[in-house]
Amino acid sequence: MATAVEEAQLNQLEIQVDNGGGGAWEYLCLVRKLKARRSDKVLKHGLYILNNPRARSKLGEEEFTLYEQVAFAAMDCSRNDIAKDCIGALFKKFPGSIRVGRLEGMFYEAKGAWSEAEKVYTRLLADSPLDQVILKRKVAMAKAQGNSAAAAEYLNKYLETFMADHDAWRELAELYISIQMYKQAAFCYEELILCQPACPLYHLAYADVLYTMGGLENLQAAKKYYSSTINLTGGKNTRALYGICLCSVAINQLTKGRNKDEKDIFDLQSLAAEGLLRDYKERAPKKLSLVTTTLRNIKMVS
Amino acid sequence: MADCRYQISQGAYIKLVLHALKHRSLSVNGLLLGRLIENDGGAAAPAVQISDAVPLSHSQIGILPYLELALIQVEEHFASEGLGVVGYYHANERHDDAELSNAARKIGDHIFRYFPQAALLLLDSKKLQDLPTGKGRDPVVRLFTRDSSRSWRSAGSQGSAELTTKEPSANAVLLDYISTEKWTEIVDFDDHLDDISKDWLNPNLFK
Repeated sequence: MATAVEEAQLNQLEIQVDNGGGGAWEYLCLVRKLKARRSDKVLKHGLYILNNPRARSKLGEEEFTLYEQVAFAAMDCSRNDIAKDCIGALFKKFPGSIRVGRLEGMFYEAKGAWSEAEKVYTRLLADSPLDQVILKRKVAMAKAQGNSAAAAEYLNKYLETFMADHDAWRELAELYISIQMYKQAAFCYEELILCQPACPLYHLAYADVLYTMGGLENLQAAKKYYSSTINLTGGKNTRALYGICLCSVAINQLTKGRNKDEKDIFDLQSLAAEGLLRDYKERAPKKLSLVTTTLRNIKMVS
Repeated sequence: MADCRYQISQGAYIKLVLHALKHRSLSVNGLLLGRLIENDGGAAAPAVQISDAVPLSHSQIGILPYLELALIQVEEHFASEGLGVVGYYHANERHDDAELSNAARKIGDHIFRYFPQAALLLLDSKKLQDLPTGKGRDPVVRLFTRDSSRSWRSAGSQGSAELTTKEPSANAVLLDYISTEKWTEIVDFDDHLDDISKDWLNPNLFK
């Protein structure tokens, strides 16, 4: 995950390179570092360097890193011809390399030749059964073929071995959400919160899933996790503030007529609503009256 | 709802396609705003006029809170213009996936409860791919409507509803915007929640 600052830096560099201001190599390195997916730009600028003998020789050994990066980008842009050339160049330099073998597998994936890709990965796994990238490619292939259940199964198996892989837990959570298996998604977020209790995004995502599952207990728990998100982000997270309001409305609807003996809950709702209105007044004044009206309609403000 | 005609304005149509193009590797969805015209200048069939689209999300479409929030705010805003939520659009993650997903159906069902002529538009990736080469005026989306058996039926089967663009040049204008990479400017509700200074109404998109 790139932070907002890093993404802004990347965008600035991208504009600079697009407008002929140089810095293509810096841009490509930053994309690699942040693992951003800017395949059309990477392809354009990467190819320019590769096709330019002087620029290419300036890279030295990094030339092959660029071949790999351009190969990925080309496959993402459906330019399998370019990918083939890059992979060919890499094979020549590094015959028998597992890293290049992975690229070969991905090339078959890009063409939709699933059984060929499967063969390549099985062969590579025979030599390195614990290669994380290849194990993840199997998940990706299942996902690409629309088999979410199989993807979840592979990913679960992967996590039995590599249980500290946060990205994998996140991917599994999102996979479960896409097939409406919310309880399982919640479990994944619980694992993430246990591993990184100070990361607000996991609290927020967990709260979102709890709200989606519904029911009084889940809504009350969701409210707690929206609150912890607000706590961890210094009150700056718009989604969490809205989340508190939405939870309050939903909980009120479910507990109609029952004794509301939690007075501090009222303060929490109105604080959240006030926080939102303050934010909108400062940063999005055009929307202020709309947000005020909608909050008023759901009785979050008077 | 057989015999109901559906017409989508160029602005709404282009917005939804641009939204899908901005997030090519993800599913996207959004709301369709418009009104029902009962007696359209003497023609017998009622017509649903879709005049605007609000892009909603490009991540975690199955998550409820932001959908509910968006519905509240969108309905409130457009009520003052006499428009209501008349449909929903969805674009699948995978190019070869032409199925209406469960999430899309559920959201469609919800909108149907308030507007029985609700239109569900699913982006047709193949048609979109063929757009630059073909000269078609057909919109690159498939229309689904709820029939009496409570399932979502694709238009064109058994002479049911059909969708046209209000302006016949819609596809030409769309191609123009695609060539200038206009999709980078589109803002959805997700973007707004990440940065409230971004406006999901996209007021300056076509200026």
